[in-house]
Amino acid sequence: MTAEAHPWRRLSVRAVYLDLIRLVGSLVPGFLGVTLGDDGPIWFLVAGSVVGLLGAGAGLIRWMTTRYRVTPELVEMRSGLVQRKHRTVNRDRIRTVDSTAKWLHRVFGLRVVHIGSGDTGSSFDLDALDRGHAAQLHRELSPGAVVRAEAEAETDAATSEVPETVIARWDARWVPLNAVNVWAVLTAVGPPFALYWFLRPFGVDLLDIGRALLDRQPLGGPVLIAVGVLVAYAVGFAGNAVSFVLQNANFQLVRRGTAPDTALVTHRGLLSTQTLQRDDRRLRGLQFTEPLLWRWLGLTETKVITTGLKTTGESGSGDLVPRVRMPEARDIAARVLADDHRPLEAALHRHPRGALVRRIGWALWGPALGSAVLALFVLTGALPDWVWPLPLALIPLTVPLAVVAYRSLGHALTGPYLVVRHGATQRHTVALQRRAVIGWSLRQSLLQRWGDRMTIGIATAAGARHYEAHDAGVDQTIAFLRGATPELAAEILEPVAVSTVRSTAMSGSTTS
Amino acid sequence: MDPESAAEETEWRIRPPRHRVDRRFIVWQTAVAVLWAAVLLGVVGAVYWFAEVTRPWLGPVLIILSVLSTVEIAVAPTARYLVHRWQATDDAVYALEGWFTRRWQIVPISRIQSIDTEIGPLQGLLGLATIRVTTASSEGKISIEGLDAAVARATVDRLREVTAATAGDAT
Repeated sequence: MTAEAHPWRRLSVRAVYLDLIRLVGSLVPGFLGVTLGDDGPIWFLVAGSVVGLLGAGAGLIRWMTTRYRVTPELVEMRSGLVQRKHRTVNRDRIRTVDSTAKWLHRVFGLRVVHIGSGDTGSSFDLDALDRGHAAQLHRELSPGAVVRAEAEAETDAATSEVPETVIARWDARWVPLNAVNVWAVLTAVGPPFALYWFLRPFGVDLLDIGRALLDRQPLGGPVLIAVGVLVAYAVGFAGNAVSFVLQNANFQLVRRGTAPDTALVTHRGLLSTQTLQRDDRRLRGLQFTEPLLWRWLGLTETKVITTGLKTTGESGSGDLVPRVRMPEARDIAARVLADDHRPLEAALHRHPRGALVRRIGWALWGPALGSAVLALFVLTGALPDWVWPLPLALIPLTVPLAVVAYRSLGHALTGPYLVVRHGATQRHTVALQRRAVIGWSLRQSLLQRWGDRMTIGIATAAGARHYEAHDAGVDQTIAFLRGATPELAAEILEPVAVSTVRSTAMSGSTTS
Repeated sequence: MDPESAAEETEWRIRPPRHRVDRRFIVWQTAVAVLWAAVLLGVVGAVYWFAEVTRPWLGPVLIILSVLSTVEIAVAPTARYLVHRWQATDDAVYALEGWFTRRWQIVPISRIQSIDTEIGPLQGLLGLATIRVTTASSEGKISIEGLDAAVARATVDRLREVTAATAGDAT
């Protein structure tokens, strides 16, 4: 091999400065805790300092020992002082290249580069490289980079521009859409809680102060709670808005490269920035997720479905753009899929009525069963009397949800895509390419058998690995299978002798 | 209804896989169910017997568990045997299992990532084996339980041969 052409590289020396700053910074709270703290608990301030110290030490060792290099076939990294590691990943296996920078990193012009191969055991973290080297690595690892490098060597045109098309760009109107959230209340509760614990060691008890304030005001209990919740929501929304802007300002989603070596590149962030690169050859579909509460606004999250990524963890969430309104999401989806099919807008087949009955059934007998079990315990004296009817109080909530869940159900075949939709509190619409189907799993419970329905499970190597069309009619299932994977369907389906069986089928219920 | 459209709209139905599993499946599953019931009822029963405080609420639990165990031992193995079917051709592996809830699973040979044979202690005594076929999807995993060991071996050998000849990374 040409070791000369692909030398081992080191992390940036500026990472050391960063570690020194962290070292000093982490000593401050511990020092304050020891010198100023009089009676409160100080152990966690000291513990924080120790953790910070260890982290800075680890950072120094990492800088001293880490070497990496990129060859046409492999990416390699060596690291470790006591336990030496030499990690080698085939370039075909690299799914994402992701570089992030916290604000301190940015001050020093540093980037943390993460090279993901869909598996934590064979992924790299280079913490940290300077901006130039990070960009170089991005270029080297983008799809088709090897081919391009060879072409450049031949034509001697060293600076051939990589073509880019913009798919989506930051829009200030996104901020309110992403700030509203049912859990915003928790965002508002978090900081005071942290502040309470931080101030305890210094003899300040926020709880006492709060109680003193409450005693002095004239409002009654319920009003006070309502006001508190309202304020908490307002603060929560504001907090969400700020963190959304910090993370997503300057958002840009582009498709970079010449076919077939293209990638989706996401760039975002105000103080800390993130660049994420996804290979287009692994794209298998898209998913919309619409929260029920914001359905009237048409809010939707958009995710990419790609192969080779773990379902959780590293870039596995697959989030493509922030929450946007439906028309915009559809345009973005069309530009991402870029094949004029717009599968996520396809008209879906409704599932049979029985599916509605089944869902309302669940909504009724679920709470009823809960009550029955509690009643059993009440009879034997293990629980007090008033407990048993509690689950029944949920019925006014569960029945409307059942109707919503039924109305969400649907499936369709359009062009090279399968589309399935389901969900009550979150409506998920999935468009998956036919070629991504690696198997079927059909499920039919006893009640579904009587109702002539079944649940279609789609096995795939992409995204969540498994998608479902719940409670489709058996005839719909068969049509779906035959349309999506004709050869495979031929294995499990057989024609019914038309003349004889058709009449009996007609006399039965023909749900269409 | 005119004959032409009837010919076009041929009705299709799901065909069960060709082979049944081995008859010893019933013996095996019954033994497994008995062992499970013994452990479960033993533990819960012991708690009921020794810790009097728990009796009021553990009583109903014990009754429900006993009923379920009896059904699981007496009826479930035979019911499952009557349902379970499988087939492995050069194109796909296809299996049907379940009892109350039936499950048809099919995976094309080209998407198979690994093929395993598994013989537990009880299965070993009875001369049975389980074939497991895995793909890149959690849902695309097929287990065919309770095959005759010789049949399982022949099937796995055949599948290995076919998958080795199929190109691609199975995703």
